Amino acid sequence: MVVILRFTAVNNSRPDPVFSPRPIYKRPRMSDQTDVLQGTLDLLIMRTIALEPMHGWAIAQRIQQISDQLLRVQQGSLYPALHRLEHQGWIVADWGASENNRRARFYSLTKAGRKQLDIEVSKWERLSAGVNLVLQRS
Amino acid sequence: MRLWNIVQSRLRSVFLRDRREADLREELQFHLDRETERLEASGLPPETARLQALRLFGGPEQIKEACRDARGTRLVDDAIRDVRYALRGFRRTPLVACAIVATVALGLGLVVVAFTFLNALLFNVDQVPNIHEMFAVERPRTSEDEPKRFTRGEFDALRRETSVFTDSYAESGIDSRVDGRPSEGTLVTGNFFQVLGVTAAIGRTLTRADDDPFEGRPVMVLSDRGWEKLLARDPAVLSRTLLVNGVTFEVVGVMPKRFRGLTVSPADYWVPFSTVGRLRPKDRGREADVGVGIIGRLKPGQSRQTAQAALAVWASASESVTDPSTRSGSSRATSGDERAAASVILVPRRGTVRQPREAAFVTAPLFLAFGLILLIACANVTNLLLARAVARQREIGIRLSVGAARSRIVRQLLTESLLLALLAAGAGFAISRVVLEASIHAVMSSFPADFGDIRLMVPDADWRVLLFLLIGAGISTMFFGLFPALQATRIEPVRTMRGEVVRDARPGRARDVLIGVQVGASALLLICAAVFLRSAFAVTKEDPGMRTSDTIVVAVGDERYRPAMLEAVTTEPAVAEVAAAWPTLAGGPRTALADASGTTSTVAYQFVSPEYFAVLGIAVVRGRTFMTNERAPALSVAVVSERTALTLWPNGDAIGQALRLDRSPVSQAPSASQTPDGDGPPLASRTVTVIGVVRDVPGFYIAPLPRAVVYLLTSTAMPGSALVVRVRGDADVVRQTLLKRFAVIDPTLSQVEAFVLGWVTRMQSYFLRMGFWVAVGLGALALALTVSGLFSVLSYLVEQRTREIGVRMALGATTMDVVRLVLSQSFRPVGVGLMLGGILSATASGLLLATLGRSIGQIVRVLDPVAYGTSLVVILTACLAAASIPATRAARLDPTRTLRQD
Repeated sequence: MVVILRFTAVNNSRPDPVFSPRPIYKRPRMSDQTDVLQGTLDLLIMRTIALEPMHGWAIAQRIQQISDQLLRVQQGSLYPALHRLEHQGWIVADWGASENNRRARFYSLTKAGRKQLDIEVSKWERLSAGVNLVLQRS
Repeated sequence: MRLWNIVQSRLRSVFLRDRREADLREELQFHLDRETERLEASGLPPETARLQALRLFGGPEQIKEACRDARGTRLVDDAIRDVRYALRGFRRTPLVACAIVATVALGLGLVVVAFTFLNALLFNVDQVPNIHEMFAVERPRTSEDEPKRFTRGEFDALRRETSVFTDSYAESGIDSRVDGRPSEGTLVTGNFFQVLGVTAAIGRTLTRADDDPFEGRPVMVLSDRGWEKLLARDPAVLSRTLLVNGVTFEVVGVMPKRFRGLTVSPADYWVPFSTVGRLRPKDRGREADVGVGIIGRLKPGQSRQTAQAALAVWASASESVTDPSTRSGSSRATSGDERAAASVILVPRRGTVRQPREAAFVTAPLFLAFGLILLIACANVTNLLLARAVARQREIGIRLSVGAARSRIVRQLLTESLLLALLAAGAGFAISRVVLEASIHAVMSSFPADFGDIRLMVPDADWRVLLFLLIGAGISTMFFGLFPALQATRIEPVRTMRGEVVRDARPGRARDVLIGVQVGASALLLICAAVFLRSAFAVTKEDPGMRTSDTIVVAVGDERYRPAMLEAVTTEPAVAEVAAAWPTLAGGPRTALADASGTTSTVAYQFVSPEYFAVLGIAVVRGRTFMTNERAPALSVAVVSERTALTLWPNGDAIGQALRLDRSPVSQAPSASQTPDGDGPPLASRTVTVIGVVRDVPGFYIAPLPRAVVYLLTSTAMPGSALVVRVRGDADVVRQTLLKRFAVIDPTLSQVEAFVLGWVTRMQSYFLRMGFWVAVGLGALALALTVSGLFSVLSYLVEQRTREIGVRMALGATTMDVVRLVLSQSFRPVGVGLMLGGILSATASGLLLATLGRSIGQIVRVLDPVAYGTSLVVILTACLAAASIPATRAARLDPTRTLRQD
C-alpha cells in the first residue's frame, strides 16, 4: 500500500488557484490538518542528510528507497520544505557537482540542525508510541 | 551560529534576489531533468518521460512561489514590488501624482516651518560640552516684574563662599554702538570660555588675565554673527580694532558659528567685565553694583536640589549680613517680595528659551494654523484618491478575484500613498526653507531700523526637523491614504469583472465631511485675519492722552553732555518747545505714599519742568500748571491728575489743598542700575500745595501709564531727566537732524538716545499688521485649496450623474431645478463647515481671553461681529463661485445627447 503524503507549506498558506470553491476573501488556515505531516517531512529530510550532503532529488529518492517505497514525497512540497529549513537555519545549501557532473544544490545539516534533529526524533517517538497505545488498547 | 545563518539568508534574499531566482530556477530544472532521466531509464519515450516528470512534480511556478514564501522575506519582496508598481503608475498618470505631491508638500512645508521655529527655541541646545551641568542662579519670579538680579559683588561672594559649582561666571548684556552702528554685546568675567569649555575658531578666547581689574586690556572676542555684521567676515580679523562706545578694543578671536554663549541668538561680541567702567560711564566706580547673570557648572554628582538648598542658605545668610534692618529684628512685616528675595533657584541654561512653556504657547497657534492647511490639503488629496479609486475598480476587482487578499491590496495602495508623501516631504522641506528665508527677510526689511537691532536668524534644520518631516509624511499618509484605500477594496469582484463599474452617484458622507472640515478651517483662518485687521485699525486710533506724533524723547546718558545737548536742542529751528521729565515712559513709574488730611493712597510721582504739559498737550482741568519762573520756593507746589484728585478729595475741590508725600517702602529698594533712568533724586518727604488738576494720561495699550499722578516741579537741568521735545514738521526727519547735532557733541552716539513717541503706536499696529498678513496669507491659501477641492468634487459628481440629469431634463426638469440639484450637493457641508468654523473661532477666542487676560482683549477685539460677518460672506461667495461652474455645465447639458451616450 502506498501512502502518498501531501505535504504543503504551512507558514504562508496560499489558496489554490482560481477554481477553488472557497469564498475569495477568506484565507483558510490549512495548518491545522497538516502540522503533523509537515513536521514529519522536515524530520525525514534532516535525517536523510544527517549522514551526507545531498541534493533535493536525491533526498526524495533516498526517502522512497529506504522506506521500501512506503513513503513517496510529493515533490511539490519538497523544495518549499528545504527552503524553509534553510531559512530557519537548520540546514545550509551549497552548489556542487552531482553524479552526472551537473551543478546541483547540496544540502547539509548544521550543528544546530543536528540538535534539532535529536529533539524532533524524540518527539516523533513519543507521538507514535502514544498513537500505538491508543490503537492497541481501545 | 544559527542566528548568523538566518541573518545571512535573509540578507541574501533581499539583496541578491535575482541570483536567488536564478538559483531556484536552476535547482528545480535540475530536479526535473533527473526525474526525466529516471523515467527514460525505466523505458518511457523522452517526450512522455518529460511530461510525466512535470506532472509528478507539480506546477513549477507554484512551487517557486511556495519557496519564495518559505524564505520569509515576503514583506520586503512585496514592498519592493509595490514600489515598482507605484512608480509605473505615476509614470502613466504624472499629472495626478504631481498634483498630490504639490498639495501635500505645501501643507507639510508649512508645518515644518512652525516646527523649525519651535526646534530653534526649545530643543536646539548650544554646542557646549556637558551642557546639562550648566545652571543659572536666579531669584524666583514672584510677581509680574522681573526678579532682582544679583550684583557683581554678590557673584564674587558666591564664588568665594559656596562650593556647589566647579566654576561659575557672571555676564551682563550691554547695548552699545560699534563704529556708529547699534550692537549688542556681553560683558563676561575672564573665566567665561573656560567654564564653558569651548575654544575659538580663529585666534583665542578671553582669559582671566584679560579681566584683571588693574591690568585688564580692552580685548574682545567676536561671535560668528558679529564677525559678519561688524567686519564683513574680513579674514584678517585678528589685527582689527573696533570702537565700542568710544573705547578702542582689539579683536583677539572669533567663535565658531555654532556657539551661542548659552542664549537663543548670540551677542555680537564678548568683552571682559573689567571694562564696564569705560563702556558705561555711569557705572564707573560702582562696578560691584552692576546687575549680572550668574551661571555655573554644577559639580558632577551634585543634584540640583541639594545645590539649590545650599545656595538658598548662603543667600539668606548674606542677606541678613548686608541688610541691617533684618538684623536688628525690626517688627516691620517682611513682604512676600523680600522673603522671596532671600531664596534662590537654579534654572538650567542650555541655550534655549528660558521660559519654554511661554515659547510653546506662542508657537502653538502657528502650529495650529499651519496644521489646518495640512488638514485641508490632505482632505483635497483624499477626495482625489477616492475619485481615482472609482476609476481603478476594474483593476482591483481582477486582483481580488485572482486571489489577492484585501489587506494585500490595501497595503499596495498605502505604499503608493507613502511614496507620494515621501516625495512631498522632500518638496516640503525645500518649501519650508524658502518660506523661512522669505519671511525672515520680509520682517527684517520691514522692521523700522530705528526701533532697535533685532536679532533674527533663519533657524537651522537639524536632524530633529528631518525626523519630524518623516513622521509628518507618515501621518499624512494615514490621513489621506487609508480611507481611500479601504474604500477602493470594498467592491464586488464579480460585478466589476462583468464591467459594471459602480458609478459613485451619491457623494457619500465622507466627502461631505471632508468639504465641511475644509470650509471650517478656512473660516477659522479668515476670521483670525479679519480680527487682526480690525484690531490694527482700532489701535491706530487709540488716544494715549498725550501728543505722540510730533514728540521726541531724548535720553541723556552722560551728565557732562547735558548742557551742550540742551543747547543743541533749543537752538534747533524745528524744535518748538523743550521740557524735561523724570521718570519717562522707558523707566517704570515711581510711587509714593500720599496723605491728604486723613485719606492715604499710593500715587505715582513725576518730576517735570513747567513746559511739560504744553509739550505733551495735557489739558488743564482746573487751576493752573507750573510757571516758568517758579523756583526754590516752588518746591511746595504740585499739580495732580484727575484720578488723584478724585481719590484723595472725593468731595471737595483739590485746589489749594495740602498734600504730604512720603517715600513708599517698596519702591525705594536699591536698584542696581537696572532701569535706564537710574536712581534719580531720592524723594524727600515733603508737603505740597495743589495748584492745578490736569487730565489723566492713560498711555498706550502695551505701555499703560498710572492714572493717579502727582507732578512735582523741576527744570531741564535735573540730572537723569530726559528731554521731551515738541517739533515742527516730520518727527522722523527732525530726529535725524537732532542726532546729527548730537554726533558733534558725542561722536560715538553711545550716550544719547532719541525716539519718537509715535513709534509706540506704530509698533503696536506693526505687530498686529504682521499678524494680519500671516493670517490672511494662510486664509487665502486655505480658501484656494478648499475652493479647488469643492470645484473638482462637484465637477466630478456632475460628470458621474450626466445620465441622471439627462433623464431628469427629459422628464421636464427646468434649468433652475438642475442648478438647484447640483448646488444642494454642497449646501449642507458648506453650511455646517461655516458654523463649525464660527463656533471654533469663538471658543478659541474665549480661551485666549481667559488665559492672556484683559490687556490683550483691549488690543485685539476677538469677538468682533464685523470680522466674523465679512469672512463668512467671503467664504460663501467663493464657494458659490466654485459651485456655479459645474452647475452651469450641468444646466447646459443636452438631454438627447446624454441619453444616447453610455
